[in-house]
Amino acid sequence: MSGPIGKRTPYIEAVQKVTGQAQFAEDFHFSNMLYVKFLRSPHTHAKIQNINLSKAKKLAGVCAISIGRDLPIPFGVLPISPDETAMAVNKVRYIGEIVAAVAAESEKIAHEACSLIEVDYEPIRDFLEPDDSLIDCSPDEQIHSHSKNGTNVHKVAELYFNDPKKAIQNSDISCTRTFKFAGVTHGFTEPHATVAQWNDDETLKVITATQVPHYLQKYLSKVLEIPLHKIRVIKPVVGGGFGGKSDPFPHEIITSYLSIKTHRPVKCVFTREEVFISNHGRHPTKMTLSVGADKQGKITGLDTDIVIDGGSYGSFGVVTSYYNGVLLQGPYRINEFGFTTTRTYTNKPQCGAMRGHGAVNPRYAMEVIIDELSHSLKMDPCDFREKNFLPANTLTVGQLRITSNGVLDCLKAVREKSAWDERYGNMPDGRGLGIACGFFISGSALPINWNRYPQTVVHTKLDFDGRVVIFSGASDIGQGSDTMLVQITAEELGITMDRVQVEVADTKLTPVDLGSYSSRVTFMVGNAAKSSSIKLRDELIKTISKEKNIKPESIQFENNRIFTEDKSLNMSWDEGVEICLAGRGSIVTMGYYISPQLGGKFKGSGAGLSPSYSFGAFISEVSVDKKTGAVKVEKVWGAHDCGKALNPLAVEGQIEGSIHMGLGQAISEELVYENGQFLNSNFIDYKIPSTLDTPDMDVTIIESDDKEGPYGAKEAGEGPIHPVLPAIGNAIFDAVRVRMYELPITPDKVLRAIKEKI
Amino acid sequence: MIKVTLNINDFDRTLLVEPDENLLYTLRERLLLTGTKKGCDQASCGTCTVLMDKKPILSCITPTLRCEGKSIHTIESVAKNGKLHPIQDQLVKHGGLQCGFCTPGFVMTSIEFLEENKNPTESEIKEALSGNLCRCTGYKKIIEAVKAASEDMK
Amino acid sequence: MSVKSYLKPQSVTDALIMAKTHANYLYFAGGTDIQVYLKQQLIKPDHIIDLSDIGELQNIASNDENISIGSMTTLDAISKNNSIYKDFPLIVEAAQSIGTPVIRKTATVGGNILVNNRCNFYNQSFGWRQAIGSCLRDVGDLCQVTKTSGKCFSRNVSDLAAALFCLDAKVIISNQNEGLELSIVDLYNQDGIDFHKHLDHDGILTKIILPIDAGSTWFKKLRIRNTLDFSSLTIAAKVYDNRNFRIGLNGVSMSPVLITGNLDMIDLEGIKSLARKSCKTVDNDMMPLKYRREMIDVYLDQWWVSIQK
Repeated sequence: MSGPIGKRTPYIEAVQKVTGQAQFAEDFHFSNMLYVKFLRSPHTHAKIQNINLSKAKKLAGVCAISIGRDLPIPFGVLPISPDETAMAVNKVRYIGEIVAAVAAESEKIAHEACSLIEVDYEPIRDFLEPDDSLIDCSPDEQIHSHSKNGTNVHKVAELYFNDPKKAIQNSDISCTRTFKFAGVTHGFTEPHATVAQWNDDETLKVITATQVPHYLQKYLSKVLEIPLHKIRVIKPVVGGGFGGKSDPFPHEIITSYLSIKTHRPVKCVFTREEVFISNHGRHPTKMTLSVGADKQGKITGLDTDIVIDGGSYGSFGVVTSYYNGVLLQGPYRINEFGFTTTRTYTNKPQCGAMRGHGAVNPRYAMEVIIDELSHSLKMDPCDFREKNFLPANTLTVGQLRITSNGVLDCLKAVREKSAWDERYGNMPDGRGLGIACGFFISGSALPINWNRYPQTVVHTKLDFDGRVVIFSGASDIGQGSDTMLVQITAEELGITMDRVQVEVADTKLTPVDLGSYSSRVTFMVGNAAKSSSIKLRDELIKTISKEKNIKPESIQFENNRIFTEDKSLNMSWDEGVEICLAGRGSIVTMGYYISPQLGGKFKGSGAGLSPSYSFGAFISEVSVDKKTGAVKVEKVWGAHDCGKALNPLAVEGQIEGSIHMGLGQAISEELVYENGQFLNSNFIDYKIPSTLDTPDMDVTIIESDDKEGPYGAKEAGEGPIHPVLPAIGNAIFDAVRVRMYELPITPDKVLRAIKEKI
Repeated sequence: MIKVTLNINDFDRTLLVEPDENLLYTLRERLLLTGTKKGCDQASCGTCTVLMDKKPILSCITPTLRCEGKSIHTIESVAKNGKLHPIQDQLVKHGGLQCGFCTPGFVMTSIEFLEENKNPTESEIKEALSGNLCRCTGYKKIIEAVKAASEDMK
Repeated sequence: MSVKSYLKPQSVTDALIMAKTHANYLYFAGGTDIQVYLKQQLIKPDHIIDLSDIGELQNIASNDENISIGSMTTLDAISKNNSIYKDFPLIVEAAQSIGTPVIRKTATVGGNILVNNRCNFYNQSFGWRQAIGSCLRDVGDLCQVTKTSGKCFSRNVSDLAAALFCLDAKVIISNQNEGLELSIVDLYNQDGIDFHKHLDHDGILTKIILPIDAGSTWFKKLRIRNTLDFSSLTIAAKVYDNRNFRIGLNGVSMSPVLITGNLDMIDLEGIKSLARKSCKTVDNDMMPLKYRREMIDVYLDQWWVSIQK
């Protein structure tokens, strides 16, 4: 490739980010702007009997107040579980739920007005633990009236292929363990922020920190009852998401509503505590996993029972429930396979999608059990894994279509780089190595909303100035998708990246993209952008070949020049553009992506379907202080198969970031609940690793060249987190011979395990 | 409200502020210098770091009225006439940023560190940056960028 | 809730005059911690008296017998002071364990010595405290940790205090009377609400005096991350040439705890037992109670091993 594809490419907006010019949602100021603050519930579960706004309304500077019944239409990112309203209607379901909102001339006034609102509550029995939610209760006590059989169960997802229970029972060896995972949250540095502006022509403009402008547009339309074509959602520069900005949020809807009500721009910026309360993080999880194997180390079956604590609303929970199970179908061949996931409602902030969605906790469990099975068989855990890898181009038992697969190369790379064969099992007491593998989707093959549209469309515009502008709904949240679009377009047109610009994530200007979630953007939007720029190139070829009477297939594009091998044609890009646009002016081409038809015909067959899957293998080295139980992760070697690294700098960044985030969940991060609220909703007590806590990293990119990915590429943003946690857990075993079945692996737990063993 | 004159990015700015106002609010809301970020507002993330008399401070916990008579420099003042400071340049080249929200804070912390320490080791860099939170990069490329910038500044 | 004035005295005398004439004032040292209390509406002063312009509080002076440190010296400055580094590496170690490098450029010695006690159930936003029902240190009448009334067990988290306890430091306080000099140990109350003593009459901690005295020191701080975190347990210890020892423990009780003795008179088990008896530790930190108690023993073991060499 002669262009920027495959080259280490700094982000196109990097200079704006290092100079402070990059504008995030909270940086937008409009004249005459109002500020929103929220009154939040102090109760876990209570009926709202009365709301008295009279004192708050009288406060000077208060412009509008709204409450739940102003916006009663339910929504939710999944059309199958629209169980949330913008503000609590009739009852509150968690501490921190928004009960009322005030728009005022300043944040201070809005805040004060909230404290003047009087609400009478009648507490209802609350359900704080999933176990409580599984049992019957009276209809009055149910968190949501639609939950099943008089309980507070939100969803039971189960799939069974063949007879795993029997297969495990009949296996030479098996291992059954129960694991507990604390809830964790995204911890992006930019708090949620939204600025809404209702215009006199009755259109709504919303600038907001989101990963899903398209879905937000859809639900703003639904809840505010405004036609879709009057809503413009703009995603500015977004300060990280990791799944935490991938739902339409109450504050976005309320801020918009208050702008409509006041005819003034309205701004909402969350405090850090509000970000924690909003959560949508990884579900607290309890799971029992059984895996069987034969004497040769072949996995014979997998069966698991999982309970995930959803909190008060649905969010992505139905998908999470399935992902907890189905994504255990790789990277190992398992023909006897089954899982049941139960998602409960509890009176706590809701959980949702977070990097590695649904599959991170089960992956920990699976990889720890594989380690145990290898030990039982006295087999090297790397060899055990190697024996069980799925090949390329195969179907799993649940009919996930595996295409490119570089897992073996990943394993070989980290095994060699870490000197595993020499060092594993031979390290001094208190020091150890651990291995784990990973597997993740590269975009969900099925859209959240069933419709006949593609999953993404890209427009590419060429004009007289020689500039190419890409219009795409893709949401860059720091992962580098804008840069990826420019790289692809520059590559196909043989022009330098400075001639290509993006117009992105603006529902007025850009064609639909479903959003930055499920690791779909490089694969899907990349393909669409490539297809669109090829069409533009074809248009140039067609017109130039006609005008210059040259065979179309001989025309080449490189370094801002258009030429033939024999140089009978040798013109600048601008000359070519003039020929192409002669007599008609600016042109726009389009490309789109629709997933191929995939999957089986059974209920639940859609879960986990992806046009491609990523793979990885990570090894970590830890030292454990046996006296204090403190774990220090010394180094992590990570190899990830992303098909093809379109931008190795960005891919490395994703892997390194995954190591950091995985480390946090493994050893320090935990949302601690105290009677339904977080005890640690701040960055002092929620322990995100600092520079001093983050290990050395050695990253290897494996390129398995996916047939359907753009230039062979597939995802790199989420897959790399999966192996990180179990690689640490397994290394702790190698260091001090204790198995950690509970995350985070804090020093007290390690010490307890060491003491129990003695 | 209290009248105060602040020297911000080498210009005197006279304005009215509240007695308990913090510098972050003054910069962002009154002067619209939005390059300085509010990540936690509780002195625990480093995104609001600016320089006061060339020393890094957390503007979210710095009373504006304390800054009278001091010189304040924000991220907006770091690149001179379009020329990036070496740390900015190296953060770009090394991919030492992803979402970019923490970046101004890292730049401001690094500037003083690089002035004070001409030959920083990796562990000194890690120590110096240990109050700046980044959730995207895993810090590796930021640390490399600071090291490279120190070479550039020789 | 709003502060009426922000005062910047240029001298201690100025500050005391301001304090006398402004009811419900709050002294501000670096402010790195207290600002968060203001934001969380844990304290609501009418006037802030910022001590940071007072030059006389920022001096470090030494003679053959002792070093005196002005209370408004930043933690960064003491870490970089040559005489402190030479004679009191323990102080440098303790100071560098506090906050982050950037915070330490603002945070002061005096601010850390007089840092407010902490508790998981108190150091929260107004809305959070309201939902939980407020504790007795706040506007409620029940301790939310022990679920009893009467006593607050918030933790003192000054790492410097632990170090200064074992260095036998003196502190100088200026107030509306004549001022006083006392042992740092006398600055603290075993009380989670009223945790400081001798600061009445608008008292300002002005100086810390460290006697130069040979001996070997040891320091360790328990926390999850190697930065930012408040202490879950800090132990500082010094053994003098005559085998007398002083151990300062903090983060595990309402005030720092001092254990003294002579190594010829007491063994490790005796010291541990004293430590256990002296610490009123409750479950008010992110680290579990049982673990923090266990770590007192483990750290003392480690100190013991270190002094056998």
